[in-house]
Amino acid sequence: MSTIFSVTAPVEPVEEFEPSDLDSADPLGIRLGEAGRWSFLHDFKIDTQIGTVWLGTWGVLSVALFVAGMGVLFLAGMDQVNGSLYLLVKYFANIRITPPDGLGMAPSMRDGGYWQLNTLLWAGSVMAWSGRCYERLVRHKWRPYLLFAYLSAILLTATIWVFHPLIVGSWADAPALGLNSDLSWAQNFSVLWGNLYYNPWHQLAIFFLFGSMMLWGMHGATILATGSEGSHHEDAEIKNMSSGSEKAALFWRWTMGFNAFPKSIHTWLWWYAVGTVLASAIGILTTGVVTNDWYVWAVDHGTVAQYGPITRSAINQHPRPMPASVLGAGYAPAPGR
Amino acid sequence: MLEFESAYRKPGNTLFEWIFGEDPFDFWFGRFYVGFFGIVAIAAIVLGVSVLFLAVGQYGDWDLLRANVPPPVRAYGLHWAPFLHGGAWQAVVILATASFIAWGLREVDICRKLEIGFHVPAMFSLAISAWVILQIIRPLLMGCWCEGFDLSFSGHLTWVSNTGFRYMNFYLNPFHAYAVLGFFLTAMVLAMHGSAILGTYNTDKDPNVEMRREDSFWRDYIGYSIGEFGIHRLGFYLAVFALIMSDLCILTSGTLVKDWVDFWHPF
Repeated sequence: MSTIFSVTAPVEPVEEFEPSDLDSADPLGIRLGEAGRWSFLHDFKIDTQIGTVWLGTWGVLSVALFVAGMGVLFLAGMDQVNGSLYLLVKYFANIRITPPDGLGMAPSMRDGGYWQLNTLLWAGSVMAWSGRCYERLVRHKWRPYLLFAYLSAILLTATIWVFHPLIVGSWADAPALGLNSDLSWAQNFSVLWGNLYYNPWHQLAIFFLFGSMMLWGMHGATILATGSEGSHHEDAEIKNMSSGSEKAALFWRWTMGFNAFPKSIHTWLWWYAVGTVLASAIGILTTGVVTNDWYVWAVDHGTVAQYGPITRSAINQHPRPMPASVLGAGYAPAPGR
Repeated sequence: MLEFESAYRKPGNTLFEWIFGEDPFDFWFGRFYVGFFGIVAIAAIVLGVSVLFLAVGQYGDWDLLRANVPPPVRAYGLHWAPFLHGGAWQAVVILATASFIAWGLREVDICRKLEIGFHVPAMFSLAISAWVILQIIRPLLMGCWCEGFDLSFSGHLTWVSNTGFRYMNFYLNPFHAYAVLGFFLTAMVLAMHGSAILGTYNTDKDPNVEMRREDSFWRDYIGYSIGEFGIHRLGFYLAVFALIMSDLCILTSGTLVKDWVDFWHPF
């Protein structure tokens, strides 16, 4: 069956790495295991070789810190369910490891200590991984685009976990760790600062995020449609376009009057993806600094339509608490908790 | 014209020709291929934009961010509404849907001309499905055109915000969560792919060495390289995943599930 539908090249021999001083300089510099073949991946038309993976000092450090952080999370979770593994699994989605109030050290492990310890360990893990990224990029003679993309993503995470709590003056501004609490944070953060939809940087970030999906749809579909004529050999195509890339370019030129080429499309892709996290980071950093209420900001700056007799004084008033009859019976605490 | 373009500008092989035997619309206008569906699309676009301008002129706010064409109010249900009470919105939705579908069929024509796969029109029709579900199918299921979103910059933001709160907490909608996951993954994989190509092109005289350099890096870095064809399959299907989850996320809200917080209580 697999041979009927396959278009990828037949299995090649396991490649040999060109020698490099950077490999031998690392005391933990070994490639783990032997390269294996998972032939079923061929049916999905993706590469069948699994491994090897580079160990490396940065990688070992990063994984060790990550595992230590997971261990802290496990202890914190067990602490919340009286040490019962069964309850930990049962209430996994509701486990909530909260940051402490204020900017100081947490008074105890339960009141934010677990959170602070985990944040420290995972911050170290993520930074060590960027060291691994940089070191491997140099080793394989890549330009450092991947490192800058990765650092942009770290910038957004650090903004949410560290910089914005520092600006606001409390670690409690950061997300609590947990499945549900992660979602709650996203909702509550938006509501707390007067609806993030009206934050122009948030709008720009969503533009880039949706645009990333759209560009993957366009670029992925274009290469899949023309791959039988070689457009997927993108490094070669940048030097010398095959009929596949020519057709790919002409498709968009005839469709919308504009087209990219094998190199320029990847510049578009990279900036849309990086633009997403950069715009998000700016959006978080300006929240509470530029305004405490993005809806009021939008009204002041004329970017929101007014529906009905809404005035600035009206929306500045605190909303009345909703009566129980409106909230409904579904808002009673879950039984047994 | 691009230097290689004339070789590809061949007449024939359009859907219109396939059905009627002859295609009088089979020509280019500047860079653009026209075709029968190009005529349909541009007619629908011109008409739709005219209706938009007419309505916005009547409503009176020409500001690019605030100019708004709202759907009918609830009292009109699934009936036609007077022009300024949502009739303009109904006309624009019909014309926009027509132009989207015509645009997709025009893409099919161009694919047939170039003799390439139909992946782009397939992906585009999935994107159209989001619009059709939001503006037509879900309003039909809910029994009111008022369920559609406002046609404006500010208005559609307000609609998104209100719709999220109307079903209590949209973040607890599992399809919404999977859609967000899909969007984040597309952005991450997009950055990885862009970095791989921008990072390696022209670093060697032999493009095969550059390609193997990409594979070697990913194997060292994360233990697996999906390959230069495989990465486009991954990106394509991540986008498909995000779109299908987005469709399900709004299709279930209000029709099957009225409260996404309450939804989880049995679990």
